[in-house]
Amino acid sequence: MVELNNILKKYTKGTETFTALENISLKIKKGDFCSVIGPSGAGKSTLLYIIGGLIRPDSGTVLYNGNDLYRQNNKDINLFRKKHLGFMFQQFHLMPYLTVSENIRLACYDNRQMKDISYYLEKCSLTAMKNKYPSELSVGEKQRTAFIRAIISKPALLLADEPTGNLDAGNSAVLKSLIEDYHKNGGTVVLVSHNPVVAGYSNLIVKLEKGRILTPVQ
Amino acid sequence: MNPFRLVIKELLYRRINSLIILFTVILASTVAVTIYTLSKASENETRKIMREQGLNLYIFPKGTNLIDFYSVNNTGTFPEEYVDKLAESKTFDAVRHLTGILQVKYPDWTDPNGSTHQIVLFGYKDEAMQRFLPKQETMGFDVEKGTVHVGSLLSKNIKSGDPFTIKGTDGRLYRFEIAKRLEEGKGINDQGVSFNLADLQEILGMKGKINKIEALGCVCKDGRIKNARKQVQAIFSDLDVTELSSIADARENQRLMMNKYGAYLISFVMLSCLLITGLLFYQNITVRNKEIGLLKAMGNSTGKILFIVIAKAFILGMAGGIAGFFAGSLVAEYLGKEIFMFTASDIKPLWNLLYYCIVLFPLLWMLSSWIPGLLATQIDAAKTLSQEY
Repeated sequence: MVELNNILKKYTKGTETFTALENISLKIKKGDFCSVIGPSGAGKSTLLYIIGGLIRPDSGTVLYNGNDLYRQNNKDINLFRKKHLGFMFQQFHLMPYLTVSENIRLACYDNRQMKDISYYLEKCSLTAMKNKYPSELSVGEKQRTAFIRAIISKPALLLADEPTGNLDAGNSAVLKSLIEDYHKNGGTVVLVSHNPVVAGYSNLIVKLEKGRILTPVQ
Repeated sequence: MNPFRLVIKELLYRRINSLIILFTVILASTVAVTIYTLSKASENETRKIMREQGLNLYIFPKGTNLIDFYSVNNTGTFPEEYVDKLAESKTFDAVRHLTGILQVKYPDWTDPNGSTHQIVLFGYKDEAMQRFLPKQETMGFDVEKGTVHVGSLLSKNIKSGDPFTIKGTDGRLYRFEIAKRLEEGKGINDQGVSFNLADLQEILGMKGKINKIEALGCVCKDGRIKNARKQVQAIFSDLDVTELSSIADARENQRLMMNKYGAYLISFVMLSCLLITGLLFYQNITVRNKEIGLLKAMGNSTGKILFIVIAKAFILGMAGGIAGFFAGSLVAEYLGKEIFMFTASDIKPLWNLLYYCIVLFPLLWMLSSWIPGLLATQIDAAKTLSQEY
């Protein structure tokens, strides 16, 4: 499904150049649950955003179903993100002026997807909160809202950047079970975390350190 | 989700930012509408004031010297129908407010006390309406038939309620009701009497004759006098045109002054407000970088992101433009009462300005948000979304 070949990404700050990722090659098959783990600064988020079409690598290719993602124009990359990807972030990034259901609707590109909102709200115990604004929600409710927003358009690939980073143990467990449900229903997951415990459910674990994959990939 | 709804929601959420932007539009449009309305009122006021000062172009029989009107009793004349012919002409547009006049010296008028004076008689034909030009309010003063307007120097010698009497060239004594006693300071009119043209022609036995046309020159690119002379002589080669340039210049300068002053002030206020708006939009974009990053991550195009910023400017520009029109009209009405003597009560909202406000202000405010909008499209989604705070 996703194939990364010899990815190199460097950042320049002033006169200093910092290598975020080097010689990264990785294959993620449809239905995989891939956890990318490693310490802060290992390049996990950079890898996730490269897969998500948000950071163009300096060299190497990212193939999605055989198509080189970064050889496409911006319009097609946007369309790829809209139709094939769901994003989750540590900071949730909910629009503060939209209600729970409006935040979810933001990710719908088809009216049929809107019909599923109630189902997911119920499933994530958010039905009572659907007209509440993010400022009225608990941290767990915010992340569950962000989760529904990420999967409402039924993306083939869910990219989660430290999704449990801000959650307590109870909320982490709820969210993990929701992501596992999505995976069991055929979704492919790439989850980034600095916490190795999060990777428990994964069938593919990628350990990153200083921008390199520590072999072997499990 | 409908992007327009997203814009409205954000606009209402960040009320302070939206209100300040709205305030800048209202301020700019209020100032623009106020100044424009007042400048129009000023033009009308000038027109009324200039009515008191008289018209600036004199059309004479060719070869006549202006000084003749002050030194001799009989000058060359021409048919009064010339006025109507000029008014009917399609090509004659350099001159407005055509007023046919018969002006003569009357050397031996006897006042009610029996003293004899040399006075000036003016016969005014009603101001001609130019058929092929837009209608305008008349400028000259019309004198009703059977009445006279008496100059201040003569007026002193005639008791209140007494008629004005004058001996005609036919030897008859003519009597006229005094409709107006002019205040002093009217120049030659102080020692004169104004008649309806037909009345004076009868007194002097000069039926159908006039000896000058007073008019108002246009504000022409290549000069009032040159244009007017050319057009008059194209129709009547036996006429010439001369100008009282001091009156003409004063009139023109007064008229242009307010317009110039207003144009500078409007530009200054408008540019200041646009600059403030640009900065406010920039600040708005900075605050919203995560939201915009998220929209990009969810696959929204740069066009949609630009739309979200520009649409906000459009809505605020439109709302502020309309509010500013009404505020500006009210301010103009209020200030007009303080500033203008003659036209204060005539200051009304200029409704055609509303259309300009509806079109111009949204456009300008969209323009001021353009650069912040472009910056929004350049936000690095990965960078902003991975920031912890």
